[in-house]
Amino acid sequence: MTEILIKNGFVVDPLNKINCEKMDIAIKNGKVVAKVNEKNAQVIDAAGLTVMAGGVDIHSHVAGAEVNMGRMIRPEDHYKDPVRKTALTRCGTGYSIPSTFVTGYRYSEMGYTSVFNGSVAALKAKHAHEELNDIPLMDKATYILTGDWWFVLENLAKGDVDECARLVAWLMRATKGYAIKIVNPGGLESWGFGRNVHSIDDPVPNFGITPREIMRGLIKVNKKLNMPHTIHLHTNNLGVPGNYQTTLDTMKAFEDLSTDGKPVAHITHIQFASFKGENWGKFKSGAEEIAKYMNAHNHMTLDMGQVTFSDTTTMTADGPFEFSLYELGGHNKWVNSDVETESSGGIIPFHYKKNSPVNALQWSIGLEIALLIKDPWKIFMTTDHPNGGPFYDYPKVLAWLYSKKAREATLKKCHKSAKKKSLLPSIDRELSLYEIAIMTRAGTAKALGLPDKGHLGVGADADVAIFNINPETLDISQKFRTARKAFANAAYTIKDGTIVVKDGQVVNSQIPGRTFWVDAETKDPCKIDDEMKRKFRDYWTIEFENYPVTDHYVKVSDRLERKASV
Amino acid sequence: MSKIINNVVCPICGCLCDDLEVTVKNNEIVKMKNGCAVCEAKMVHGYKSEERILKPMIRKNGKLEPVSMDEAVKKAAQILTDAKYPLLFGWSSTVNEAQRIGVELAEELGSALDNCCSVCHGPSVMATQEVGIPAATLGQIRHRADLIVYWACNPWTSHPRHVERYTAFTDGRFEGSEWKSYMNKMKASASRKKMDIASKRIEREEAQINPQVEVNGPPPQTLQKPGRKMIVVDVRKTMSAEAADYFMQIEPNRDYDVIEALRCIVQDQELDVEKVGGVPVEYLREVADAMMKCEFGVIYFGLGMTQSLGRFRNIEVAIALARDLNRKTKFIISPMRGHFNVTGANQVFAWQTGYPYAIDFSQGYPQFNPGENTAVDLLKREDNDATLVISADPGAHFPSVVMKNMMKHPLITINPDMNAISRLGDVVFPTQWCGIEYVGTAYRMDSVPITLKKVVEAPPGVLTDEELLSKILAEVREIKKKRGLPVGLTEQKIVHTEPIEPPRVCPAPVTKPKPKKVVKKKKEAA
Amino acid sequence: MITLTALRAFDVPIQTPCITPENFTGKSLAEIKVLPVTEGVRNLTLGDLFKIEETNDGTSNITINGDCAKVKRVGQGMKTGEITVNGNIGMHTGEKMAGGKIIVNGNAGGWTGSEMKKGTIEIHGDAGDYTASPYRGNDLGMKGGLITVDGNVGTDVGCYNQGGVIKIKGNAGRFLGFHMSDGAIYVEKDVDVRAGALMTGGKIVVGGKMEILPSFTIDNVKPKVKVDSETNVAGPFYVFLGDLSEKGTGKIFANKAANPAFKFYEKYL
Repeated sequence: MTEILIKNGFVVDPLNKINCEKMDIAIKNGKVVAKVNEKNAQVIDAAGLTVMAGGVDIHSHVAGAEVNMGRMIRPEDHYKDPVRKTALTRCGTGYSIPSTFVTGYRYSEMGYTSVFNGSVAALKAKHAHEELNDIPLMDKATYILTGDWWFVLENLAKGDVDECARLVAWLMRATKGYAIKIVNPGGLESWGFGRNVHSIDDPVPNFGITPREIMRGLIKVNKKLNMPHTIHLHTNNLGVPGNYQTTLDTMKAFEDLSTDGKPVAHITHIQFASFKGENWGKFKSGAEEIAKYMNAHNHMTLDMGQVTFSDTTTMTADGPFEFSLYELGGHNKWVNSDVETESSGGIIPFHYKKNSPVNALQWSIGLEIALLIKDPWKIFMTTDHPNGGPFYDYPKVLAWLYSKKAREATLKKCHKSAKKKSLLPSIDRELSLYEIAIMTRAGTAKALGLPDKGHLGVGADADVAIFNINPETLDISQKFRTARKAFANAAYTIKDGTIVVKDGQVVNSQIPGRTFWVDAETKDPCKIDDEMKRKFRDYWTIEFENYPVTDHYVKVSDRLERKASV
Repeated sequence: MSKIINNVVCPICGCLCDDLEVTVKNNEIVKMKNGCAVCEAKMVHGYKSEERILKPMIRKNGKLEPVSMDEAVKKAAQILTDAKYPLLFGWSSTVNEAQRIGVELAEELGSALDNCCSVCHGPSVMATQEVGIPAATLGQIRHRADLIVYWACNPWTSHPRHVERYTAFTDGRFEGSEWKSYMNKMKASASRKKMDIASKRIEREEAQINPQVEVNGPPPQTLQKPGRKMIVVDVRKTMSAEAADYFMQIEPNRDYDVIEALRCIVQDQELDVEKVGGVPVEYLREVADAMMKCEFGVIYFGLGMTQSLGRFRNIEVAIALARDLNRKTKFIISPMRGHFNVTGANQVFAWQTGYPYAIDFSQGYPQFNPGENTAVDLLKREDNDATLVISADPGAHFPSVVMKNMMKHPLITINPDMNAISRLGDVVFPTQWCGIEYVGTAYRMDSVPITLKKVVEAPPGVLTDEELLSKILAEVREIKKKRGLPVGLTEQKIVHTEPIEPPRVCPAPVTKPKPKKVVKKKKEAA
Repeated sequence: MITLTALRAFDVPIQTPCITPENFTGKSLAEIKVLPVTEGVRNLTLGDLFKIEETNDGTSNITINGDCAKVKRVGQGMKTGEITVNGNIGMHTGEKMAGGKIIVNGNAGGWTGSEMKKGTIEIHGDAGDYTASPYRGNDLGMKGGLITVDGNVGTDVGCYNQGGVIKIKGNAGRFLGFHMSDGAIYVEKDVDVRAGALMTGGKIVVGGKMEILPSFTIDNVKPKVKVDSETNVAGPFYVFLGDLSEKGTGKIFANKAANPAFKFYEKYL
């Protein structure tokens, strides 16, 4: 394998507390090493460039049944963004839900090297893995919808956390999943009969359990299984005005569960869960309250779910939310996709517009939270691709974070009522490259429990992004457009020790990337007996034996072994 | 020595029943349990057909003659690269793994790529592109549905186990089966039915000339009561209709009008007309009432809707009806997809290109437009000058004018046995039966992926679709290189020649060998 | 003026989005000859398929001669100038057109004037399916402009029309003006079933026989109707309102003399 030496770059590596220091990074056999022989190595002259670890996206819908349904129903979306075949790359289509190959290329062109798939119903996990295999140049993993899985509901209602943990361990292994995903806990089961839950203490019909009990139970399960990531939570009442209170209730409900000062839960796309006001007319920002709480507590991490003003496609396992969004009117398509015994889902094409008072304020809320939370290790940058906007709008989001000028330029074009309500004019904070590196790679890698990602210390995976930004000469907050362009087109992206992108163009598309999945070894196995199989046959419409995702579906498998305490 | 293999998946219809028990003796399937008659016909008898192709063949002087695999692959690649605008059609009866390579081949050729759904449920896909779709997996219906509507389809013959496994005759968590009450009903009406059938046979000829709608009387009061109910809407009384609580017969080609009338009623609009599609509006009103009152309703629709007058617009309004009903209750609508992996073809094409079918790669990127790039339309306009057909039989199903145009140009076929299209081919490839002789992935009608099993060995020398397409693709690239044309990189292919290992049973510690006891138990149980 | 004459009969689809007046403006004949086109999967140049001549009349107008029924995307996105086709023309002619004029002295293929915003298309033969209808999945129909057809049109014409005017001298296929919200469609002869399905606004005027969907309700009878500033049609007409299933207020004007079957509606008046 080739050796690479990245010389004289400004290295930004927060996990190793390196802030824009001029140094060399040596790469050998797909890992960062102390040094290589310069004569044998491919030398990249990174003088005047910024060197970071490859980006790690903590929440993005890139694969699976829901995503593909979105692709299928939006030919008009693809029509405006065709991607030509080249001698190196496959063809495809882009825009809000790019085809798989294009997804890999476009992430890589921005210096991202890992992506974590937002949600997948276990029954359709094979589908997600088939798609992940077709996303080149990226390491990937997928979260598994666990919160409304009947076995979880039943065991937690019984109070049997240990048995629940054993079943979840089996589920993660059976689906080659990475983390416990909870979407609108209890709400998805209720949606089976067209209903929903409206607070964390609403009972779930037919199951005698509340969302609070589901979430708390699964946090305990997560701990017992010693999972690398915390639970990954999409809160109740998402997208409903006034829901910041539900979000606060949810966070408060977990306070006592963090015993070692480490986070116990990750709330995803917090922007959609921070709405204040009784209705859409009185829609306000709840960012201050959320940020205040987050600044005083350490048991949570968040990601933004930033809105970027584009014609995009919303998709989530939160079926009732999508239906209520449809009922607001102005949409021509609505997809609902319930999955038996596990989950629901919905899709609606959505155009976020600056001249809409609600959309413009949503844009503001995402940024307010990210800027008001002082510690960047607590909140990460995402757009909840494609819900807030496609992932290739990340450079835009970064620009709004590191440049007040960029924020002002956009706010100027926003609806006047949003301008009045926005807290952004009062926020002067502009993120440094160091903080950006935390929010896009170091912090996410840490939150995901990936010791070899998100940094450039010896032994780290050789996933590197080099940007055409000279911190000594370029004031990114003033020249935000120059820096934005640099983030959109990495000077180099190195994946597993191979240069895959140069000057924002894919130069090697043959690195398949690995799929991470968690194998938590429990002391006692969950009992797979005739009784269990009979139950399985009752609950699902496929046989127990045909449920798991076999090795056939994971092209390059990377199993994370964990020792469970049950 | 015979062995029994459990949980085998049936590679026939969109139901993908995965509970078959297959007995294999001397590399032959001798017995099959749990499956339907259609399944038995293929799994036990059909796949051993005398018409099985065992060697590749090339048409020489008008006759098909056996040739070596290399010669056939070379010839096929030559035809495809010489053509100005080839068409690759089929894909619905093969596995995802082969479809993936099919997309790559089409991309390399710049050809048109279409799958069988353009002549079955393609209109359903087009309709979802216009209005979306409220859908659910089949289990959701089994557990919850108390109103099941089969519209313009006849699951009794086309998807024989659909009703028994997923809908009216199965016990779910929240809804019970209607099986017992149905049996009683059947007994009571058995004698009456015999009379009916006899009298109908006499009337049939007349009925065909001028289809008269026989109005069955108003919907029974039971439609408004709790418990599972089944309604069948169709242009003729089918076996499925016999099993229904209410059969609503409508005039042919009037599905659109009837659904629109139902939509108006659901929205409390007054209608000026007294009858729609031959059905009195007051009956429609009762059906609409049942739809609004149920706890969880579902409409399954079939080809009677997608391929009759109005095509995808019929589905569009049917979806709109289901969508409107969601304001009153929970309502789902789903197509009864036919071939076992036609859904998979849509899925694979969509994730690789963004479009589910009717794709044209001639511009170097995918373009989509049913009506423009669909096989029947292309061939009708005589746009293509070479065709490759894989795992489909347009010879038996396409209109004759379209087939005539196809036959004017070279034709390559890939099918396990000598079906109508293979007989017409210029290069005829043999292939393995997927789901019987090799493994792969298929998507059920509700997009649930299921792994097909291998139960017997294929005849020697016969390749899988995946291997065959890879060979053709490699040869196409060779020829293009020789001509100095740019070619794409060959992606590293993982060809699964060995059977997929069985799923590991929980927990499988890495360091220790698999706990044998548990594995054994599983086999016994199943 | 540039004249393109087909060098031979075309047997596979040809895509020529490069044929627009603005694209030809300022280009020499040699430059126009090498504009990229595709014939099936082959990448060729315009000069490979057409004899290209220039007449110096100071305009960039284009004349196309020969049977071009397989030539697609002529005049796509054009904004000014004029294209005259002497013969048939293929699909997507004048797609996303924003101005100028296209005259077809022959038949036009499907999706002619799709997603058109402004300008005029005159077809002196028949027009195909989806004339003036948007691309799949889109609800952005014809925004403005005028399409006239001397012959018949296919199915699904004028779908999602938002303000364009379409005048057809012959017959029209089913689903005419599907889901239209504004604008006008006038058909002088007969219309197949389901005209105006799901329409929410605008008007459809039919001079010949037609069918009315059950989701329309009779409003009144009018002696004449105005299609646009130039065209007034004498009736009398039954006026139907709909589509009720979309709570629409579109209007269908059905000729009373040609549709005696609608007499029973009169009892509601």
